[in-house]
Amino acid sequence: MSKTIYVFNRDEEKEYHYNITEDTVIYHFSINSGGKVDIHLVTEGVSLYYYYNNINYSEHTFMIDVVHDKSHTHSEVFNHGVNVGSDSLTYYVNGIVPKTSFKCICNQENQILNLKDGKSTIWPNLLIDNYDVDSNHGAYIGKFNEEKIFYMMSRGLSYEEANRLLLNGFLLNSDSIDLNQISDFVEEIEKI
Amino acid sequence: MLEIKNLSGSIVDSDIQILEDFSLTVKEGEVHAIMGPNGTGKSTLAKIIMGHYLYKVTSGDILLDGESILHLSVDERAKKGLFLCMQDPTVIEGVSNSEFLRTARSTISSEKVNLYSFIKEMETGMKEVGLDSSMLHRSLNQGFSGGEKKKNEILQMKFLKPRIIILDELDSGLDVDSLKIVCKNIKNYMKENKKASLLIITHYPRILEYLKPDYVHILKDGKIQKSGDLSLAFEIEKTGYTGIKDVSHE
Repeated sequence: MSKTIYVFNRDEEKEYHYNITEDTVIYHFSINSGGKVDIHLVTEGVSLYYYYNNINYSEHTFMIDVVHDKSHTHSEVFNHGVNVGSDSLTYYVNGIVPKTSFKCICNQENQILNLKDGKSTIWPNLLIDNYDVDSNHGAYIGKFNEEKIFYMMSRGLSYEEANRLLLNGFLLNSDSIDLNQISDFVEEIEKI
Repeated sequence: MLEIKNLSGSIVDSDIQILEDFSLTVKEGEVHAIMGPNGTGKSTLAKIIMGHYLYKVTSGDILLDGESILHLSVDERAKKGLFLCMQDPTVIEGVSNSEFLRTARSTISSEKVNLYSFIKEMETGMKEVGLDSSMLHRSLNQGFSGGEKKKNEILQMKFLKPRIIILDELDSGLDVDSLKIVCKNIKNYMKENKKASLLIITHYPRILEYLKPDYVHILKDGKIQKSGDLSLAFEIEKTGYTGIKDVSHE
């Protein structure tokens, strides 16, 4: 059983520090906010799942460092952002494994959807100083795939309805999220 | 009734015609099959009928019950009763099978769908097409095998109750037993919905043995070159397209 943490920001720049000593899932929901997150996996064998879901209306930068201080640690970081307007949104995502940490898994997946002409940037960095590590990263900036929209519309959904379902799936990207904990965020999705 | 009249079509931003002066009429309750070599426009035809964004109609018309559908959006065509069972159904992460189908059902029927009865109905439907009920809550087509994706398409057909069903290579990626199951479901659907029509696009006669088309057409160079009954499909299997009389072999 993992420890679960919910974090919610709206219109603020905040810093968070976590020392992970047991298997942990962090759901971080953010509306029009930036900030910095600094995470250390300080106990051997622990895992971290970090879901950052962000709705952006003005210029913001989000930075996250995940440091594998101990061996056999495992991190999976998912950063999903929706850049609603024309401003810039930037993610710096650093997975860090020092020389002294062996057999770690360090993965990150980053996506930003530009709904209009916003300027979005992702810096997906893997700073790996040990040969015995399994590590992957991915970054995508763009719009929803047209083939997905076509498929959904071919079953009768309007363009708007298809986009709404895709947005929900994109920003609430884990089956385990307790929606009661994030009602403000769910309401905000409806406003996009 | 679906009427395709002298239809020519190409890929958007390209002048190369894929369909040229193609005509076909599919009346209520009829089953038509379209066969043809690779690259002759079979899937293009299916996508153009459905209004796919990558294709354009350059001349001709597509009529449903006597009215042109060319100006209609994809969802409006679906609401008119068109259904395209796709060759490679799209994966949609984050949108569950049940949520998607429930939204589609309520949109197409314009009625609010009761969650409890819908889930019960969906569990029954999944059993009938041979899908595990755990797939109800999984993301649409994500992690599904090729066969499971095709079964899921047929599940959607059963739920959305279309009247013109286009099967674009339904039989690709299906093993013999799965093909039997999906064909049985399609046949039952056709029995229960007497006005529904089928347009089957395929390379192989096996699916046609199950679904028994009234007409088999050979599509080549963008138009129908020969029509016949089921025996034409077996002739193609035996001799290939090069052995069929009246079909150009340039």
